[in-house]
Formats: sequence, C-alpha cells, structure tokens
Amino acid sequence: MTLTTVTRAPVAAALHGVSRIYGRGAAAVRAVDDVTLEFPRGGWTAVMGPSGSGKSTLLHCAAGLERVDGGRVLIGDTDITTAGDRELTALRRTRVGFVFQSFNLIGSLTAAQNVALPLQLAGRRPGRSEVRAALAAVGLADRAKHRPAELSGGQQQRVAIARAMVTRPDVLFADEPTGALDSAAARTVLDLMRAMADGGQSIVMVTHDPGAAARADAVVFLRDGRIVDRLVGAGARQVADRLAVLED
Amino acid sequence: MVGLSRAALAERWSMFVGALVSVTLGVSLVQSSLLLLISAATLDPPPGAGPAERMVFEDNATAAVSVLGVVLGAATFLAGFIVSSTFAFTVNQRRRDLALLRLVGGSRGQVRRQLLGEAVLLGGLGAALGIPTGLAVAAVQARLMIWADFVPDGFTGEWRSWIMGVSLGTGILLAVAGAMVAARRAGRVRPLEALRETGAAARVMTASRWVAGLVFLGGAVAMVIVAPHGGPDGGIALSMNVAMPAAVAMAAFGPLLVPLVGRLIPTGIGVPGVLARANVWHGRRRGASIAAPLIVLVGLVIGNAAAGASFTASGIGELRATIRADLVVEATGPIGAAVAAVPGVAAASTETLVPATVTTGHGEDEESETVSALVVDPASYAAAHPGSEAVVALSGRAVARGPGGDVPSHGTVRLALPGTDLGTLPVVASIAATMSGGANLLLPPGLVPAADLATAPTHSFVTIDPTADAATVRSALAAIGTVADVDDWLRADAEARASTNDKVLLIVMGLGGLYALIGVVNSVVIGAAVRRREFAEARVTGMRRGQVIRAALLESWAVTVSGLILGGLAAGATFVATLATTAAVTGSATLDLPWPLIAAVTATALLVTSLTSVITSWSATRPAPVRLLGTQE
Repeated sequence: MTLTTVTRAPVAAALHGVSRIYGRGAAAVRAVDDVTLEFPRGGWTAVMGPSGSGKSTLLHCAAGLERVDGGRVLIGDTDITTAGDRELTALRRTRVGFVFQSFNLIGSLTAAQNVALPLQLAGRRPGRSEVRAALAAVGLADRAKHRPAELSGGQQQRVAIARAMVTRPDVLFADEPTGALDSAAARTVLDLMRAMADGGQSIVMVTHDPGAAARADAVVFLRDGRIVDRLVGAGARQVADRLAVLED
Repeated sequence: MVGLSRAALAERWSMFVGALVSVTLGVSLVQSSLLLLISAATLDPPPGAGPAERMVFEDNATAAVSVLGVVLGAATFLAGFIVSSTFAFTVNQRRRDLALLRLVGGSRGQVRRQLLGEAVLLGGLGAALGIPTGLAVAAVQARLMIWADFVPDGFTGEWRSWIMGVSLGTGILLAVAGAMVAARRAGRVRPLEALRETGAAARVMTASRWVAGLVFLGGAVAMVIVAPHGGPDGGIALSMNVAMPAAVAMAAFGPLLVPLVGRLIPTGIGVPGVLARANVWHGRRRGASIAAPLIVLVGLVIGNAAAGASFTASGIGELRATIRADLVVEATGPIGAAVAAVPGVAAASTETLVPATVTTGHGEDEESETVSALVVDPASYAAAHPGSEAVVALSGRAVARGPGGDVPSHGTVRLALPGTDLGTLPVVASIAATMSGGANLLLPPGLVPAADLATAPTHSFVTIDPTADAATVRSALAAIGTVADVDDWLRADAEARASTNDKVLLIVMGLGGLYALIGVVNSVVIGAAVRRREFAEARVTGMRRGQVIRAALLESWAVTVSGLILGGLAAGATFVATLATTAAVTGSATLDLPWPLIAAVTATALLVTSLTSVITSWSATRPAPVRLLGTQE
C-alpha cells in the first residue's frame, strides 16, 4: 500500500522581483517596478492604487496576459515567466479565470453558451448540469437562455463570473469587477465573491473602490509601480483614507 | 466550435453578408467565364460548311477563346483579390471577439480553425448561390460575345455537370485562401486586446504586407522593363497585365498611402472636418481595406482601356505609314491582272486572303494553327508597303513571314489550304511583326491553285500615275470592285479596330468592373458595421446626427480619392509599359488616355461610396446613442 501525499503550494500566485517597462530610453515608464508579492491560496487579495499606479499591469503580469521584463511569475508552483503561448493557453483553460470591468461576454451566445465556452475550448463536452450548476452558483439559473443584451449589468457580470469559475480555476483574476455596476449590483457581485473566497477560492482583484477592497481579506497598495502598503482586515473607511494619502 | 461560428455569423450578419456576396459573385464570374471558354473551345462549325468556311470559323473561334481566356484570367484575379481583401477586413474587424476567445482559453489553432471553418461555410454557401447566379452571368456574357461578333448567334455557355464541383471548390478555395493570411495573423492576437475598446492593431504595416507589397511592386517593375522587348504580342500582353501586380502592390501599401490623402481634408470646415481627418488617420487600416477594391477597379479598368486605345491608335498610325497607295480596290477572286491593265494605274499590289493551316515541329511537338495567308506579288507588295522590302526574295515554292508574325521566321513550315495540302515549304523572308498585325504568311503567286483563289477576298492597293486623270482611273476601277481612297479606307479600318477594342474591353472589364464596384460597396458597409458605438460616442459628445454623417462622408471621400489616386498609379504602370512598347515596336511612343472613361469611373466611384457612406452612417446612427453606449456588444 502506498500513501500519496498531495502537497499544495501555499501560494496561489506569486511575483518575484517583477518589472514591466513600457517604451524605451527616456520615454520608458516602469509600470511595475521590482514587485515581489504573494497571493495566498484560498484568500482574497485586493490591489489598490491611484490611477496610473500600475495595478492593472500587475494583474495582467500575474495572470500571464502580459510578458514581464524582469523577475519571475508563478501560478501555484508553476513558473510561467517564459511560458510559451501553448502553455499559457493551457493555463487559461484550467488554472486561471478572468473577470473584467466590461464583462466581455460574447453577445451572440446565451448565458449558458457563454458559460460552456471555456469547457468547449478545452475540448470537453460540457454537461447540461455542469453549466446549470455554474449559473445557479451565481444566482442566475433562470437566465440560462438569455443573451447578454437581455441581462442587466450586474447579471452580465455574474454570468462572466460563472464563465470564469466553470473550469474551477486555482485563481480568479478580477480587474475592476464592480467598476461598471451600480451599488446594489456591485454588492451582489461582491457578496458572491466573498462567498467564493470563504469556500476556499483564491481571488486577486484590482479595484479603486474602497468599499470593494474592504470585502477582501487583504489590501495591497501600489504607487508608481511599487508596493507601498498592505492592510489586513481593514474597513472601507480605513482603506479609503489610505488611498487618499497615496493620491495626494 | 461550429456553434460559435454559427453564432458569429448570426451576430455580425452584415459583415458576413458582405463576405458572402464577394464569394457568390466571384464564383459566378469565374464559373461563367470558364463555361463560355469551354463552350467556345468546343464550338463546331455549322454543318455543311466548306473547308474555307471551316477555317474562317476556327479562326474566329480561336479569337473568341483568347478573349474568353483573358476574361477568365481577369475574373479569377478579381475574385481572388476581392474575396481575400474582404475576408481579411472582416477578420480584422473582429479582432476583439477573437481576443476574447483567447482570453477564455482558446488556443491559436482554435482561433485559426474557427476562422477557416467560417471560410469553408461561407465559401460553400457562396458557391451554392454562385452556381445559379453564374448561369445568369453566363447568359449576359454570351450575349456580349454575340453582340461583339466573336461568336455566332445562338452561342450559349453549355452546362457541364462537373462545373458544380469546380464552382464549389472555387468558392471554398477562394474563401479559405482569402481567410488564411488573416487567420494566421488573428491567431497571434493577444488575449489582452479583448480589453481594449477598438482592438485596432497598433502596427498597420505588418511584415506580410511589406513583403506582398514589395514582391508585387517588383513584379510590376519587371514587367514594365521587359514589355518593350516582348515584340508586339508580348509587349501588349505584358502592358495589359502589369496593372494587376501594380494594383496589388498599391493596395498592400494602402495603410501607408491612404492616410496621406486624409491630410488634405481642410480643418477650417468645422467639427466634421476635424473628426474626419482624425478618423482617416486612426482608421487607416480600415481605409486601406475600403480603398483596396477601388484601387484594383481603377487600375484594371483605366489601365486596360488606356493600353487598348493606345495600342489601337499606335497600330493605326503604323498601318498608315506602311501603305503607300492612293486607292484601295476590294473584290473577290483574281483581280490583279484587271487592275494592272487599267490605264493610269502606275502600280498596284493585289493581295488575296486565304485561310491556311500551319504545322510546325514534329512528333509530340507538332502544333497546328489556323493563320491568315496573303497571296501577293512580291515586288508590288514591297513597293506598296515600305519596310517590307525583304519580301522580294519570295518566289516559287516558298513562303515569307508576314507582318502578323506568329509563324517561324526561318526554317520550314507545313502548309495546308482548305482542301489542298501544299507540303513543307521554306520560310525565305520575314517582315518585322507590327502592332497592327495583318497576314501571318505571305505566299508567292502560283503556289496556290487558282480554284482556291476564285472566291477569296482580295484587295488591291493602287497608285495612280500622276499624269493620269484620277477620276477616270477611279471609275474604271469601279468596274472591278469597290474603290475607296486609302485615307478613307484607313479611317474605316481604324474605326473598326477601335470598336473591336471597346467591345473587348467591355467584355473583359464590364462585369469584372461591376464586381469590383460591389466589392467597394461591400467594404464601406463592413467598415461601418462596427462603428455604431463610435458614432454614438461622437453624438453624446455633442455632435448632431447630421454632423456625424457629414464627418463619415468626408472620411469616405478622402478614402475614395486616395483609392482613385493609388488606382491611377497602378494604371500608370500600364501607361509606362504601353509608351515603351509602342516606341519599341513602331518607333513612336503612343499613349491615348480615355478621358471620358476616367471621368466616368471617378464620378461613379465618388457617387457610389458617398451614397453607401451616407446610407450606412444614417442607419448606424438611427438608434438613440444612449442605447448603443449602454450595452457592451
């Protein structure tokens, strides 16, 4: 009898000394400047900062959407710094999910078809129950046949979350997920993400909304491409005050 | 994935309709030209025709086949060009959707496969529609061929059942080949582009565009250089065809060249002018895609028309210079002795036209061709046609190569007349091939049996003795045949040549030009399909609907004018080759620009793009802007 011990990396994703530079010579901008940061497994980390602080670039680098000019990027224990297109595609299919401010649903497909898409792309025949469960998890079981244009913004974003989660990714990357939503819809989406994090889902979220950041387990502050602070268990007011200082 | 293709088809329907139309019309044009070509090539002489009639019939059939060959070539080129530029455009317009697919786990291969899958779908559907459409096109083309007297009355494109397979294959091949390059590039689209609003590629001149542009430009330059050394036939063919690679090169460089014209939009005409200028620059790839079919249309139509008119004019001038006579007498049968016997006739070259078959080579290389042979009196012929002095060496059992060329200039040929085999004869003299053509062979008197000459068309170039009374000589000659002044006769001949040239141009470029024009409309519509949001943004910024439409119209004018200029440059390559070829063959460079046609093409292009632009932007701005901005897709 053999005993198999599954050791899981303690971090969901990590950046080690990562830099990302746009432009060349005198016009060069260090959007991300030598950042080392670990996103804990099963935790929800919010990344905040004034506009132009490099928070979106940081997220894109961590998710393998943008190449880095220096340092190393890990998803779990996989180094993706120099991963080729094929590996990154495989990564997107199985280990990372994305949610963006502008939903990015395919307008011609129904909610159910949008959710089933990542599975189909991965070469799997999605079961009806699998898709229905993913939609039910975001409270939209009754909207499966609707197209994005027939859904409210909040509902579209929840479909986008269902699409991102249907492959059960290790990490969910969310870039301003509530940025285009009214406060009620934003609250529903954040409640959903909170429930997911409590259930053990690793989430990395970029936001400029202190209320949204306060729902996360930890908030990392960025300015000029560098990490300048980190708060754990802070309230919205505390996060807002910290951000206000950075924006001055 | 098929479901996704189907969904994409449903959503961007106007774009796909555009692509479908391009395939349907392309297939129908190629199919029609192919059917007619095969029908003409297998055309049988009417039953009961004599050997001479059969030879004339076959000669006409050869002319019809060569015209239809050019028609097929032009149709294939246009179909390939229009379909591939339309497909590349639609793919480019969908970059954002494709990036989104990459974002949710689609691989490069899947993006490529989806696009190629769509191309197969559209190609198959386009062919299915193109096959019946092709029958209608064939009816029109056949009527044109009959009207131009290239084929006998009652000529039709005979249906062959295998053509369905060919057309289906053509449709799918055109669509897949057209989508291939675009799909390869789309496969490299970065997932992050899904997050950008326009998804416009930052780099407008891709490496493949540079390569294609330079290769085709090099090809065009090479053709221009070689044309004057190709003799009349080769030079004409090269000059006519140089517009194709030149147009492709200009279209490839479109993203660099089109926005330059946008700079010419005056800024002092208010907000629409400023916006249009900015949009031409920002949307230079879109502009280049819209200009592409226009460049080909202008380059081919103007280039071919100018070349055709110039070579005709050059040939007419040349013919005038190679005839030294006062009158022409036309009759049938042997009139030489009678003409020469008329008092006051100082000299006469009587020439009798007989169809002949020339066979060259042996064994597998053996080739037979129907040619026109002229029975002449060598000394008189040389006197009446300056430049043909070599022909005096012709006598006995021998032949000379005539100004029509197409036969060996030395060695031997096997010659057969209708009903008479003359055996193998040496080619003892050769006249330089001329632009205006003429008989391929000159035969000495006595070689052809008198029976074969009895009913052959004959003309005699007569020089009147200066001391004789011209009117008297003329009336005496009128008893032998129809008499005309050489100048009048040349004028009538020139008109006939020009008319034939116009007919050929209409047959070759008429439907093809229409197809290219529809391609232009297509690309304007496709270009507007994804701009509803952009228009809405301009309106919520404070522009009135009329201003948005005016800005779009100005932009469309700038793109159209740049297409006209670049097409003009492509046609310019033909002009240069034509000037060089006519100079090399006849000694005087000739360029006859068809100004009415140029004006008509310019006006039509401006009118069609303006109308399409106004209609599409009017329709795209119909919904309230807020509704368009509210939803993402």
